[in-house]
Amino acid sequence: MGNSPLAGMRVVDLSRVFAMPYVGAYLADLGAEVIKIDTHHAAFVDTTRTITGPYLNNEPGEDFWNRAGTFQTLNRGKRSLTLDLRSEDGMRQLLDLISISDIVLENFTPRVSVRFGLDYASLRTARPDLILVSNTGYGHSGPWSAFGAMASALEPTHGSGAFMGYLEPGGDSKLTGSAVPNKIGNSYTDFLACWSAQFAILSALYRRVLTGRGTWVDLAMYQTGVSFFGEGLLDFAYNGRRTRRLGNRHLSLSPHGCYPCPGEDCWVVLSVRDDGEWVALCKAMRQPALASDPRFADPMDRYENQDELDGLISEWTSAHSQVEIVAALQEHGVPAAPVQNAAQLLHDEHTSGRRLFEQIDFPQPAALGSRTFLGRGWRLSEADVRVRGPAPDLGEANSYVLAEMLGLSQDTITRLLDEKVIGEELSGGTAPGVVPLERQAELGWIARYDENYGGTGQPCS
Amino acid sequence: MDLLKGVRVLELGGDTSAPFCARLLADYGAEVIKIEPPGSGDPARRKGPFAGDDPHPEKSLPFLYLNTNKLGITLDVSSTTGRGILKRLVTEADILVQNLGPVESEELGLDYAGLSASNPAVVAVSITPFGLSGPLRDCPAGDIEVFAYSSHLYHSGDSDREPLRNALDQSWYVAGVNAATAAMSALFQRLFTGAGQQVEVSAVECLATHMVQAVPYFDYMGAIKGRRPVRGSGFEELMPARDGYVVPSVQGSQPWAVVAELIGLEELKDERFLSGAGRIEHGEELKELLIRGLAEWDRKPLFEASGERRLVFGMAQDAGDLYDCPHLAERDFFVEVDHPVAVSALYPGFGPLLEGEPYQVRRPAPLLGEHNREVFSGRLGLSDDEMVCLRAGGVI
Repeated sequence: MGNSPLAGMRVVDLSRVFAMPYVGAYLADLGAEVIKIDTHHAAFVDTTRTITGPYLNNEPGEDFWNRAGTFQTLNRGKRSLTLDLRSEDGMRQLLDLISISDIVLENFTPRVSVRFGLDYASLRTARPDLILVSNTGYGHSGPWSAFGAMASALEPTHGSGAFMGYLEPGGDSKLTGSAVPNKIGNSYTDFLACWSAQFAILSALYRRVLTGRGTWVDLAMYQTGVSFFGEGLLDFAYNGRRTRRLGNRHLSLSPHGCYPCPGEDCWVVLSVRDDGEWVALCKAMRQPALASDPRFADPMDRYENQDELDGLISEWTSAHSQVEIVAALQEHGVPAAPVQNAAQLLHDEHTSGRRLFEQIDFPQPAALGSRTFLGRGWRLSEADVRVRGPAPDLGEANSYVLAEMLGLSQDTITRLLDEKVIGEELSGGTAPGVVPLERQAELGWIARYDENYGGTGQPCS
Repeated sequence: MDLLKGVRVLELGGDTSAPFCARLLADYGAEVIKIEPPGSGDPARRKGPFAGDDPHPEKSLPFLYLNTNKLGITLDVSSTTGRGILKRLVTEADILVQNLGPVESEELGLDYAGLSASNPAVVAVSITPFGLSGPLRDCPAGDIEVFAYSSHLYHSGDSDREPLRNALDQSWYVAGVNAATAAMSALFQRLFTGAGQQVEVSAVECLATHMVQAVPYFDYMGAIKGRRPVRGSGFEELMPARDGYVVPSVQGSQPWAVVAELIGLEELKDERFLSGAGRIEHGEELKELLIRGLAEWDRKPLFEASGERRLVFGMAQDAGDLYDCPHLAERDFFVEVDHPVAVSALYPGFGPLLEGEPYQVRRPAPLLGEHNREVFSGRLGLSDDEMVCLRAGGVI
């Protein structure tokens, strides 16, 4: 414990959904005490506690608000304090807690954060050297600042679709860049905001130690998103080019693509950077004569004749298993990878050997058993960084924070319970409607499922 | 922005991941010295597109974007003399970030053992596709392989077609920003321990940590989340409007009536669509109505009208749209950068802004070896004769 980078730091996490809660989870992994400000009023509860799911074996269970898988991932290692921020009492406890904390995370729209007195000007009176991250769709200034946002709508808005789309058949038997934008998906923008916020927080903490100064980070997801596509934007600034959609192809490398393997939705990717890798690819395909085929002799020939080249490669990949193809390519030093799904990733020899995933036992064996948590993409050699435990049950730290930390009497806590400022059971809501997996597959929400899974964490087939 | 004022960073390797990491540190005020091989320079210098479509090493747009606010020197770190000079630079550095392969790092003495011998307080950051251990450690991989292996690619694109690659080498950007956080975690810890440490970043694993839904879907239910359905309600998907694509959404706190009223088609107000379950049930029909309704709208008026009604629509914008965006303009997002070879242009700025500390581009991306004199003679005290000698020997 002695070498947790953020040991002794306290974080008040007012945020909801994906991006900022995940920031808080990582701060907990780094050793900070992270207190999630929850509510037991169903209308205001973090939606990842309820509708986002998923639930073990698709069964929400009685205390479903403590059991959702994505919520667990995003809130592992935190404590939970419920506070009704519409009440004076709730706000007073919150400000008292902030006055003894180092970092506050919030993702209210600017209008709401000012109305609740959670803007930086107000909060720094409670804690002068506070580090506050305000994550919003569009930031605290500018004509769109009042707009709400969600990642899957923001992603094309900040320009990813300008650079992403399928190739379509064009004239001259060529494939041409598409006019139709596509999406990276998976709430991509949330993660850009999450990683950017983490970097800002660690940098702000560093300065605070040296200078005593706090920092307000005005993190606009829209603007942050644009900044990850800057090299593409410069193509407009310098050359007037608005889009560049190349499917799975590359601006200058060929072959470069995603090719079908036998089996359902099974694919490999490969790319060739130079003549040496081209010869290696031909060897891996057991077609050494191809290496001297004049159509593909040098990078420019290969670039010109990509349609034919992709056809030949697809023929080869279609005739062998994903495992065989990737093994042959890697053995010959050609950049290649299987397009893994989550089950493959979870049980992959490379990543599991490196402990990308961390196994966490839940305290009550009846609840969730032992579950697999996503760790981090980085390791520090001399620091204790790890998932500290499961996500908190709703309000589990009410007494700890209110009595031990803020010194409230038991009478006062009882009154807060009676007045519904705090609570430990979700009130006013019903269990999220569960759509059977069979129907989810029909609707395309999932690609497929394992009927005999049983929540064991092990793939059946 | 001076969060990292006084922090000294060395950057080695090139292309995208390590340079993006170092650029983020530089944007927050760190001093970054970028070390390039003499002659060829950073491989990104050969990457297109180029300013004016002129494939000149000082005109690569990825390079120009990724290397603002840095000093640039050339040094052949594979030569004995070059390694000696690097060692002196490492002695004075707080962070070294590099993205060379594990074998190359070891051979050059740039692995942690080698670096910490020069400076036990250095935070040594290595960014590789697969990390520094495991069976795939030495496998070559580009952005598309990283994206595929992480399982992100499996979810990108349409469910009835092949998976679709991300845009503009995003894997390396994600690895770069994660590396910056990890480096700062180590540097923060050093304030208390005085010791440096090794920071190991795997691009595959950085991307894999985006799977906060797909991984629990399998772990909790045995279900594989796939790519987005082609059929369905059409909400949260790119849908055609009159002048491009928009993303209508029912998310947010507004009732369905607000969505139906905005799009403006009378049939959308039908009570079958009032509930989420109803919209799923009648998804096909709803999608047809949506297409009809959206065809009456241009992107931007619809987007702005949705925002004003507290809905959370999106729209597909291209690079020109973004340069034309009144919101980004009012937030001073674009910054004029004058470059001696590529000429002056407006550059996209920075995401996480700090109150009262405007984002600044203090200098454009360095020309190859531009700051050799400043660093070698100014910082390390090499004489003019020594500089000439290094130049003649091809070390700088």
